[in-house]
Amino acid sequence: MKKFLSSSFRYRLFASFLVVSLIPLLICSAMLLQIFRLRMTGDAQKEAEEHLDRVGLLLDESCQRFLQAAQSIQRDDVLTAAMLGAEEEGMVVYGRLLDATQESRNDARFDLYDSQGRWLCSTRSDSAGQDLPTNWGVLRAAAEGTLRFFPPEEAAAADAPLLQGGVPLTGDGGERIGYLLVGLCRPDLDRLLEDIIGARNDLLILSAYWRPIYCSQPSLTDSLASTLRQRLLKGEPLNSGDAEFTYTVSGHEGTGLYLVLRQPQVFNRDTMGLLYTVSLSSALICVAISILMSLTLSKQMFRPIQRLHGAIEAVARNDLDVYVPHEHDDELGQLAQRFNEMLVALKANQEQLVENQKELNEAQIRMLQAQLNPHFLCNTLDTMKWISKINKVPQVANMSTNLADILRFCVSPDEFVPLWRELEMLHSYVEIQRIRISGGFEFSVEVPPELEDCLVPKMVLQPIVENAILHGLDGVEQGAILVQARAEGERLFLSVQDNGRGLPPELEGPYARRDRELSRGHLGLYNVDTILRKHYGEGCGLYLSNVSGGTGACITAVLPLRWEEELIC
Amino acid sequence: MEKRGCLGILAAVLLLTGCADWRGEVQETALAPSEEQRLVIYTSHKEEVWQPIVREFEERTGIWVDVVTGGTNELLERIDGESEHPAADVMFGGGVDSLAVYADCFEPYQCSEWENIQAQYRAEDGLWTPFSSLPVVLIYNTKLLPQGRVTGWSDLLDDSLRGRVAFADPAVSGSSFTSLVTMACALGEDTEATIREFAYSLEGNELSGSGDVLTAVNNGSFWVGVTLEETALKRQEAGDSISLVYPKEGTSLVPDGSALVKEAPHGDNAKRFLDFTVSYDVQEMMAGQYRRSVRGDVACLSQLPALEELTLVDYDIPWASQNHDAVLMTWAFYLDGEEET
Repeated sequence: MKKFLSSSFRYRLFASFLVVSLIPLLICSAMLLQIFRLRMTGDAQKEAEEHLDRVGLLLDESCQRFLQAAQSIQRDDVLTAAMLGAEEEGMVVYGRLLDATQESRNDARFDLYDSQGRWLCSTRSDSAGQDLPTNWGVLRAAAEGTLRFFPPEEAAAADAPLLQGGVPLTGDGGERIGYLLVGLCRPDLDRLLEDIIGARNDLLILSAYWRPIYCSQPSLTDSLASTLRQRLLKGEPLNSGDAEFTYTVSGHEGTGLYLVLRQPQVFNRDTMGLLYTVSLSSALICVAISILMSLTLSKQMFRPIQRLHGAIEAVARNDLDVYVPHEHDDELGQLAQRFNEMLVALKANQEQLVENQKELNEAQIRMLQAQLNPHFLCNTLDTMKWISKINKVPQVANMSTNLADILRFCVSPDEFVPLWRELEMLHSYVEIQRIRISGGFEFSVEVPPELEDCLVPKMVLQPIVENAILHGLDGVEQGAILVQARAEGERLFLSVQDNGRGLPPELEGPYARRDRELSRGHLGLYNVDTILRKHYGEGCGLYLSNVSGGTGACITAVLPLRWEEELIC
Repeated sequence: MEKRGCLGILAAVLLLTGCADWRGEVQETALAPSEEQRLVIYTSHKEEVWQPIVREFEERTGIWVDVVTGGTNELLERIDGESEHPAADVMFGGGVDSLAVYADCFEPYQCSEWENIQAQYRAEDGLWTPFSSLPVVLIYNTKLLPQGRVTGWSDLLDDSLRGRVAFADPAVSGSSFTSLVTMACALGEDTEATIREFAYSLEGNELSGSGDVLTAVNNGSFWVGVTLEETALKRQEAGDSISLVYPKEGTSLVPDGSALVKEAPHGDNAKRFLDFTVSYDVQEMMAGQYRRSVRGDVACLSQLPALEELTLVDYDIPWASQNHDAVLMTWAFYLDGEEET
């Protein structure tokens, strides 16, 4: 999981969105579900209690009426006499009993017994009653003086009463003269409880010891009652969590009966299923939105990053012509902008490098061109030397020798030479120039012997000296050129000084390269300066000045002090 | 973080549901009776017998009775199996000879109205409390057999009735076991020989419960049956085409009874119940249903022949209980079939 999350920023974003959206949703769902459930269960409970209260009231009223009937019987002299054993006409007794029980005759069956439990008369003529023992069952309970209801012994017959209660009847002197037995049959109970328990509910009437008496669904009576009794005795809750029905129990004080209302579970499987489906779909929508949001946001973040990534790749391939577009001026936009600026700088830098390289190459090409057919020229010069010796023209012979020396030096493959060789070559050059220039000039070299071995670029001094001869000594009678070398720290200073007119003051200072066009005529100086700069970098090069306190110019080449053994890059 | 969140939700849900359930439970446990108001009865009586007694007992004492029903031997074995932690308080029903077999599981108790019980039904050691006296009778289908065809035990071994006698498995039905021993006593010969002869004569047709005997004889599947007086009279009254014969060789008066389970969880209530079963009210009520009371002061119904008119065998209850397993093994051995020689 951790590996999966750390593998992509997008997944992390997705997970965060999921957490942020799903957890509140789940908490909300669970709490709503719970509140809903508690509320519904509470309502159902309340409803059940109301129903049971109403049933209880009805039973109370019925009992009240039964007791009133008993009172009426006690007051009736014919019935009292019949119970005391007087031989009365059956029809008369029956009529009196019907009168006495007038109010509740339709609610129940009334049977009259004498004090020995002998049956006398019944309000319903469909079946004759049996004599009952006074020491057993309903009459025994009645003898104790309270109206207690319980199921009769043999409830097997369809029209037998389901519930019986006995009322003791007393004579004027308080002696027991008989019993009134109230029997409630199924139709009576059905009628009594009609429409007050709710269409979807069932009412179960249990005896004080939870034995079955009546159920609004006859087929359920025995099985349901024994199940509930078992649960009660085992101490199990009547309402187990996932059952289909809920049971509400209420004891009825007047009759000693228990009333159990069975309600279909409010939160049944269907309702739960619906709620779970809603929660689940909400969760799915959350997941979908999370995915969408993370994709959108990551795309917004990723496009600039992707572009930058592509640009960096292009740069790595040495393509500097890329440009990273940026839409927003946010952090990523600023990053792209900086990157673009960086690229521009890099590109300029590289162009500069290429330019430098080109210049160097040009110089090299010029050098190579200068090396064309050098042997032929050297041999020719040697031949010229000998011809002039034979023809006794010593100047030509001298010039040829010097020129050949210079030429050989020039075409030698070494780029760097010891200073003494440069000076040797300079002497040959000066020899030639002395012959060429009519007035002649003085040429002197002041080089400390320890510097004679240090390395300098080939032909570095000759252009400077040539410049001094051609320009510095122009029109000077007693020309003098002094070549000096001195070392200062790591630097070597080679200066060529003349005693001519000196430089115009604007040229003083470091040799100005930008004046290339102006210094067309001074190509030699330009070349030397270029060579020095290319070889040694900025800081080296030519330095132009006028001789202080006298006439003439001094051109100094500044270069690092190097020795033969050092490698020159 | 996620895990912690989930746990939070779970805790909240549990808390809420927990509250709801707790509230419901409190309400219901208040209705349940306390341990002092309970009694567990194992009974082999039919529901019509135990139901009125148990209900009246509840009404009078306020004790809640939990009734477990089953065959005599089945329940006795169960009590035996539970002897470490008894669940039952009283074994109600079953011949006292069967109860005596499991004497180890019961605790002697002398009921409060001991002196009102006829002497011949009293247990010497008080191990059991008698309930009613039940003579063994023969029944025959009045449509299939003429009157006087069956008069005694020896007729059952007659070739003409081979495979026609309905008899319940004595290993299941206590009354069937009593009948078997009574027969063996009445015929007087070697017990094993009698059992063997009778087992052969059944030709393997053994019924699984004592109630089946009457049904089978009434519907003509069998011609003759062996059962108890009380059951037969009840069915006869209900209109079954059966007739009773008290065997001429003699019948037994082995009472059925109740016994107090050793270390019963509700011992005091159990004793009250035992007292109640022999109380005048119960005995009188029961006598109205063709049973013979064990009390001297309760007469049986006038339809029943008086005890003095019955020929009785000398039924040795201790012998019957001691040889209970042996008799059953002999029975099972021969019931498989006659060896043809």
